[in-house]
Amino acid sequence: MKDKEKYNFPDADGRYGDFGGKYVSETLMSALEQLETTYEDLKDKEEFKNEITYDLNNFVGRPSPLYFAKRWTDKLSGAKIYLKREDLNHTGAHKINNTVGQVLLAKHMGKKRIIAETGAGQHGVATAAVAARHGLECIIFMGEEDIERQSPNVYRMKLLGAEVCSVNSGTKTLKDAMNEAMRDWVSNVDDTHYIIGSVAGPHPYPKIVRDFNSIVGIELKEQSRELFGRFPDKIIACVGGGSNAMGIFYPFLKDNSVDLIGVEAGGSGIDTGKHAAPLNDGSIGVLHGMKTYLMQDNSGQILSTQSVSAGLDYPGVGPEHSYLKDSGRVEYDSATDEEALDSFHDLTKTEGIMPALETAHALAHAKKIAPDMKKDEIIVVNLSGRGDKDMANVAKVEGLTL
Amino acid sequence: MSIIKSTFKNLESVNSKALVTYTVAGDPNLDTSEKIISEIVTSGADIIEIGVPFSDPMSEGPIIQMAHERSLVNNTSLVDILSLSKKLKKKFKTTPIVLMGYFNTFINSLNSTKSIHDINDDICYELKNNGVDGLIIVDLPYEESEAIFNKLSNYEIDLIRLISPTTNDSRMNEIISNSSGFLYYVSLKGITGADIDSYDELKKRVQQIKNSSNIPVVIGFGIKDQETASNMSSFADGVVIGSAIVDMIGRMKKEEDNATLNKISKFVGDIKSSIQ
Repeated sequence: MKDKEKYNFPDADGRYGDFGGKYVSETLMSALEQLETTYEDLKDKEEFKNEITYDLNNFVGRPSPLYFAKRWTDKLSGAKIYLKREDLNHTGAHKINNTVGQVLLAKHMGKKRIIAETGAGQHGVATAAVAARHGLECIIFMGEEDIERQSPNVYRMKLLGAEVCSVNSGTKTLKDAMNEAMRDWVSNVDDTHYIIGSVAGPHPYPKIVRDFNSIVGIELKEQSRELFGRFPDKIIACVGGGSNAMGIFYPFLKDNSVDLIGVEAGGSGIDTGKHAAPLNDGSIGVLHGMKTYLMQDNSGQILSTQSVSAGLDYPGVGPEHSYLKDSGRVEYDSATDEEALDSFHDLTKTEGIMPALETAHALAHAKKIAPDMKKDEIIVVNLSGRGDKDMANVAKVEGLTL
Repeated sequence: MSIIKSTFKNLESVNSKALVTYTVAGDPNLDTSEKIISEIVTSGADIIEIGVPFSDPMSEGPIIQMAHERSLVNNTSLVDILSLSKKLKKKFKTTPIVLMGYFNTFINSLNSTKSIHDINDDICYELKNNGVDGLIIVDLPYEESEAIFNKLSNYEIDLIRLISPTTNDSRMNEIISNSSGFLYYVSLKGITGADIDSYDELKKRVQQIKNSSNIPVVIGFGIKDQETASNMSSFADGVVIGSAIVDMIGRMKKEEDNATLNKISKFVGDIKSSIQ
């Protein structure tokens, strides 16, 4: 297909079609320019690439295995299900793939202070870990509500030497943590690098975060060739901001035989309006520096979202996903809280792998489609994170006390 | 001549500087906003900035954030704000009205054709028809707004640009040549209501802008009292006072709080007299 051969986003203005861009206050424009110049300058240099590869291999523990979920496959009795085990990475999720890269950019720019937003706490932990390793000051912004439902990760960040800043403005979740991180950045822009954790925010963030995470898709290509002698039929990933999905999808965008499916947080159900699924039920607008699909009312105010998983509880989505939705290359579906919780238990009991609640949304979709597929077809689910952090929350949702 | 331009000309002819005030529309409600702004104009403000509340005001400090939240409790929309603007324009024909806010509320609340996601003719027409003379869109750098700038200028609405301490020379020249009305110099790296650290640096930057352009330069962020206002206005064409007034509004006891109205009015009068 001609379109696919031409795929070369973002363009020079940081756009994916009409999406993306740089909608930030004037004070941040020079910092974004500096980041873009630094990244473009370094990304193809052997020394920089070697530094990152060394960290990915020895600090993160890559490559992550491609695991055959045999018992779950047998149970669903359809397509073969494989899991790309990002949960086995150091700090327990794909988020570290991005932070090991961005912290090196920060060092090259001479920044001494690192800030980040976090929802589920996985990006906060991954940022705190690299900051500790490089001896940089680290402040993590986290919504008050998320601090409550992800307390193990809050303590991990503190143990790693980070200061966790509780955000109690707005909806007290991920989007407000991002607002607060932006406010801090604008006030300390000279010595601070803001490590955005998703393929969201102003250009060049969506591109940088995608590139650092695309190691997941690159490895999967190689593992697929070895294991199957071909590419998978379908790749499924959950989408909040969309970094794990972009990381596994991106290397496959031009391979039309591979169906790519992003799964958003359906909360109580798309019809109820209580969800976090802007690609399924949102409209185009501008937030956090990007033009993208958003959950908003008809006065342009951002709506509060609802999801059992803190990491998907975000009213926007990375601009490249908005483009891929409109272009039709990626299909975006959703899974409800209930479906995600079901799959959380299924995988834990059947495979001995406890997935993060975010990841459980992708698993729920696999569970829906696998039985209708042929036995020689292959689904790969990006197992983006592990679920230890969610135990207390799952117990609470199910009315248990630990 | 646009009414913003003539306002600065008139002030210059009497050797005075512009006092620009910022309050959030609908804080605590629209009727009270009308009263407060009317009081402010009568007490000496030259240009009225009306804050358009947004759920995610990323450039605001805590004082103005809370004002946005108070206003949104009443679901204040851009449509409501335009009717406020129309009423104010009727009362104060020669006082420029500038709306200040975030891009999303401008592109998503008046847009009848939902597929545009931009500032189109319908929006420009509504703005103009309701007495709006200028826009400040905090999260819209010049790179994203060339077409919008031209569109607004067809309707004689000024798109007022911000320049900050981190703006380098080449960007500054681009911004200056793509702006109208006045330039808003952000006095500090940070959010609204923070403290200014270096006057000398600030003065140097403002003079640098004035050397390369005739467009008036107004300083905002960090001006809290007569002393800072007087210092700033000695080298700029005007000052913006926001957080200090919004803080008083936040402390209003009830809607019919004449003591606070009088306090705001005295404060505005004092600032105006200190920048003469």
